[in-house]
Amino acid sequence: MEGFLANLSLGFITALSLQNLAFCFLGALIGTLIGVLPGVGPIATIAMLLPLTFSFDPVGALIMLAGIYYGAQYGGSTTAILVNIPGEATSVVTTLDGHAMAKQGRAGVALGIAAIGSFVSGTFATLVIAALGAPLTGLALLFGPAEYFSLMVLGLAFAVVLARGSVLKAISMIVVGLLLSTVGTDLETGEERLTLGLAALADGIDFAVLAMGVFGFAEILRNLENPESRDVVKGKIGRLLPSMDDMKQAIAPMLRGMSLGAALGILPGNGAVLGPFASYTLEKKLARDPSRFGRGAIEGVAGPESANNAGAQTAFIPLLTLGIPPNAVMALMVGAMTIHGVIPGPQVMTKNPELFWGMIASMWIGNLMLLVINLPLVGLWVRLLKVPYRLMFPAILIFCCIGIYSINNSPSDVMFTAFFGLFGYALIKFGFEPAPMLLGFVLGRLMEEKFRQALVLSRGNFMTFIDRPVSAGLLLVALIVLVIAVTPAIRRRREEAFQE
Amino acid sequence: MIRLFASLVAVAALCAGTANAQNYPTRPVTLIVPFAAGGPTDIVARIIGENMSKTLGQQIVVENVAGAGGTTGITRGAQARPDGYTLMMGHMGTHGAAPALYPNLRYDPTKDFEPVGLAAGTPILIVAKKDLPPKTLAEFVAYVKANQAKMNEAHAGVGSVSFTTCTMLNSMMGVKVTRVAYRGTGPALNDLIGGQVDYMCDQIVNLAEQIKAGSIKAYAIATEQRSPALPDVPTTKEAGMPDYMVSAWNAVFAPKGTPKDIVAKVNDALVKALDDEGTRKRLLDLGGVIPEKSGRTPEWLGDFVKSEVTRWTPILKAAGVTAN
Amino acid sequence: MIRAPQDAAAGVFLILLAIIALWQGADLSAGTLGQIGSGMLPRALAVLTLLCGVTLVVESVLTRGAGLDRWGVRGPVFILGAAVAFALAVRPLGLAVAGPLVVMVSAMASRETRPVETLIFGTVITIFCLLLFKFALNLPIPVAPWLIGY
Repeated sequence: MEGFLANLSLGFITALSLQNLAFCFLGALIGTLIGVLPGVGPIATIAMLLPLTFSFDPVGALIMLAGIYYGAQYGGSTTAILVNIPGEATSVVTTLDGHAMAKQGRAGVALGIAAIGSFVSGTFATLVIAALGAPLTGLALLFGPAEYFSLMVLGLAFAVVLARGSVLKAISMIVVGLLLSTVGTDLETGEERLTLGLAALADGIDFAVLAMGVFGFAEILRNLENPESRDVVKGKIGRLLPSMDDMKQAIAPMLRGMSLGAALGILPGNGAVLGPFASYTLEKKLARDPSRFGRGAIEGVAGPESANNAGAQTAFIPLLTLGIPPNAVMALMVGAMTIHGVIPGPQVMTKNPELFWGMIASMWIGNLMLLVINLPLVGLWVRLLKVPYRLMFPAILIFCCIGIYSINNSPSDVMFTAFFGLFGYALIKFGFEPAPMLLGFVLGRLMEEKFRQALVLSRGNFMTFIDRPVSAGLLLVALIVLVIAVTPAIRRRREEAFQE
Repeated sequence: MIRLFASLVAVAALCAGTANAQNYPTRPVTLIVPFAAGGPTDIVARIIGENMSKTLGQQIVVENVAGAGGTTGITRGAQARPDGYTLMMGHMGTHGAAPALYPNLRYDPTKDFEPVGLAAGTPILIVAKKDLPPKTLAEFVAYVKANQAKMNEAHAGVGSVSFTTCTMLNSMMGVKVTRVAYRGTGPALNDLIGGQVDYMCDQIVNLAEQIKAGSIKAYAIATEQRSPALPDVPTTKEAGMPDYMVSAWNAVFAPKGTPKDIVAKVNDALVKALDDEGTRKRLLDLGGVIPEKSGRTPEWLGDFVKSEVTRWTPILKAAGVTAN
Repeated sequence: MIRAPQDAAAGVFLILLAIIALWQGADLSAGTLGQIGSGMLPRALAVLTLLCGVTLVVESVLTRGAGLDRWGVRGPVFILGAAVAFALAVRPLGLAVAGPLVVMVSAMASRETRPVETLIFGTVITIFCLLLFKFALNLPIPVAPWLIGY
């Protein structure tokens, strides 16, 4: 216990130096401002801002980068709520109820809940990292390909619950998402699959390209056709911050969300992505009136946002303790650390304790900064929404184009985004929902990789998924979730059929 | 009015088009890195680029263009205007193994570039999960030969450094093991630490810290001399496999047709970076290998690329692997 | 006969998608269950998509549902066209041209656009983007290669 306190105080002493505080603040501010721009997600933001940090000392630079990371995550959630464009896979869920709330004039409440939820869960996550970081890594190493696969199957089961409407259409969307994720180069043989012969598709479809097209562009197209339903701020702005009643409704989802997010974020291999989806599913099932979800239920923002932030922070655990980045953003951080001469690995904790604990302490400070920065900004963002749509949508478009271009300096990415915009428009016309498709897409790559790896390792024995206890357990839970999700729909269908 | 405007545009275009070596560079220079930010090649490029910016007096801006094992970025670089304002960081994969791996490759590493100079290389290590019984390289080779059917080798995908270098190792050992593909080094390393797979060949940058902490073990490093970052790991020469000498070398290239004096200026800045104390320290801390004075000229690089292509092509063709 | 036109159209859309996927992946080897090849998963998923599509069509005959929505032309053409214009213009002509181009082409998608206002807005926002992305953040995006070379 005292070791834990001693470490934390070392961390805070490091993090609270004037210089490091300034770095933290600057990072969080810049990260938020850039992350808010539609089309520019956390990866693009960090890659853009990384060179700025080169002239600073390692601890300061990394604190700033971490600040940029949370700032960008939060900025992405802001865009998700205000204009229905998710900055990253983890903000997709926030668009569902967050944007619905914005359309009801409750944008301020949604943003406020997201900020508060993120702070509370950030505090929790910091404590988890500080106290349990090292032992938890050992747990994560128990996850082999079979376990990951089963976890992803569970994730897909969650996706079915995401649906606002027809379960069949939701399942179709998940399948289409999985299909799109197979486009690219086959991992084992190097063959190109479904790439239509285009070199630009050789590495598959980028998530940001798909999300921007199907959400961003299609949303603009939809708004242009329905001017009445798009005025996000009808009349009065309404409350800028959540009321006590809102907070009471939100507190339990926040607590549940942060536990889920923290647990899933530890898993190397992007487990953090599942956090918000799992939280949304849980809240929807626990709510007394599930039909509110998708139409502006505050639990649908509080839970996922808390899960989101908790996961984003615990995702640092594999990085700081093992030196292995769990996702693309963390891989950038590894590069950043290496450039600054701190090579991440199991010994960072012992060889550079000021760095390790300083970063953890500054994570909490960063969360505090975000709250301080963002709550006042809520008023600004909501006022920005009053800009006439005829000027707003070209602005959104230009930011999206620049943002997409900047991912890989590739104009063809922008072309594909336009194509997916058309695709997304078609989906809307046919009554499909894009959210389950995006989840299917994100999970698809991982699922196939882990599925084939597990089979290669077991030499073709399918029983490996059930022989291994953790994997079997996860598959069982997935089955249960699916049954719970599908039964009401079947019952409804039978009633409808009887009525005919 | 229009004529004035037109002549202004013409003059501007003329100024932009002329590659004047005396003034080079007059604006920022783009260095295309054909991999995602944060990876080993990107890190080397940024460290060296930072120092070169000081010598050249203009910023070196790294542009990451990832894809198809690095060939997307190199293709773009090869097709850029040869005015010295677009350079690229190629490596063993893009300029050595690529012709064998990608039949539809749109460039020829030996013909479509002006070599500028070798940058830092990252040596390859043979590593295994910490519980694997063999203690030395010789024991390892015997073990693998005896247990071929049960062994699992991890790599980061067809076309990656870990793939091509282990293809060579496996063919040198004369074994046929099960190769497990991962999407990137991170997940592969993760499973190696967890003991799900048996061994791997990869660059020191990714592995050094793990080896020092004991979460994986290293049998040998494939260079002439031991690395200062890992002084306890024997070289393949010492351990009994002197022919396995590979490093993931990185080098700066310019598109074909770039004027010789501009190439010389860039090479000079590169050499100065390699001699700079601060830059050397950062590269060596990573485990990087800084080329000898004799290996830093454009001519040396040109010959080296030819030899690398000749070396990798038969090995990869024999293993029957092509990326599409 | 078809009681839910939207669902029927949705089903047909899925069936078409599946057929394209099957056709494109036809020459990939599926391998065996013991050694899964590159074609197995895409083919399996395409078949699943086909099944979903067929189920939707069948369901549209049996249950009542929403009618077909009308497709706009102006919106898609100008919004998506603006993005395509950006993609084509950004490397040869730079952000200085591509920026205003995007704003002006996309603005034509809305009936509420006022030409002069849009032109000014386009210029202002392009300058803002140039200052932010190019000069403050050093993004390697071309500014105006035809004019100043980079």
